[in-house]
Amino acid sequence: MKFPRTSGGFYAWLFQRLTGILLVILLLIHFAVTHNLPKGGTLTYAVVAPRLATATWKVFDLMFLVCALFHGLNGVWMVIQDYVHSETAQMWIYYGLCTLGLILLILGAITVIPFKA
Amino acid sequence: MLEKPSVIRHYRWHVGTIAWLLHRITGLLLIFYLVLHIWVIHHISQGPAGFNKVMGVVQTPIFLLLEIGLLGCVLYHAFNGLRIIVIEFSKEGVEAHKQIYAAMMAVAIILFLIGGVPMFIHFLHALAG
Ligand code: HEM
Repeated sequence: MKFPRTSGGFYAWLFQRLTGILLVILLLIHFAVTHNLPKGGTLTYAVVAPRLATATWKVFDLMFLVCALFHGLNGVWMVIQDYVHSETAQMWIYYGLCTLGLILLILGAITVIPFKA
Repeated sequence: MLEKPSVIRHYRWHVGTIAWLLHRITGLLLIFYLVLHIWVIHHISQGPAGFNKVMGVVQTPIFLLLEIGLLGCVLYHAFNGLRIIVIEFSKEGVEAHKQIYAAMMAVAIILFLIGGVPMFIHFLHALAG
């Protein structure tokens, strides 16, 4: 049976670009607000918690999480396909990346969603 | 003796090759950082004591310095990524690819200075205690 991977395909390509464009916008907001650049400063619970407790920032951070995880792991998958040619090895790496993505998605979600200051 | 196969006419470092290699390296560094970042920020679930402890560790001088490198990686990857997207989606883009690269890098460098200089000053203050 051939490993039914979907990559190398149109949607992997398209979503890499769409999430890339979204990430530029999300990152600029993240640096300007969360990291208070260009002013900067030390980040503590007192600074971060009130923001993270609001619905707006929860939605923002969840969007950020989904876009960055998809983009980053799909990117790793693109790199892997350039260097690993065995079908079996590719399959295991593919499922490994999916599992890692799921774990990080859950870890991020349980950090953000139930948070109260 | 190891020899270059004659079918390969040139195997030189073009601007495009370097741009691609840097994009790949910065992309991989960024996903590595993202994994650590999600894990570090997860400590906020433990309340002020746990979060401030881990944030204390990642805001020591060595991390503050590394963070400037991180900003550089993000900005290079972001604006080189936009260059790739612009060139793929427009016919004019292919013809003007050198100018587009220069313009994107100019924006990246300006943003790097805007963010990086205060970060460096912050690093020096932390170093001085
Ligand atoms: C900030 C906005 C970003 C933009 C505009 C962007 C754009 C892109 C584009 C267009 C590609 C595809 C390159 C190709 O097909 O040759 C790509 C690849 C990649 N990106 Fe991003 N990216 C961004 C942020 C990120 C972030 C935050 C990460 C890490 C979490 C990341 C990790 C990667 C990786 C690992 C690759 C694969 C590199 C390769 O194939 O050589 N990118 N990026």
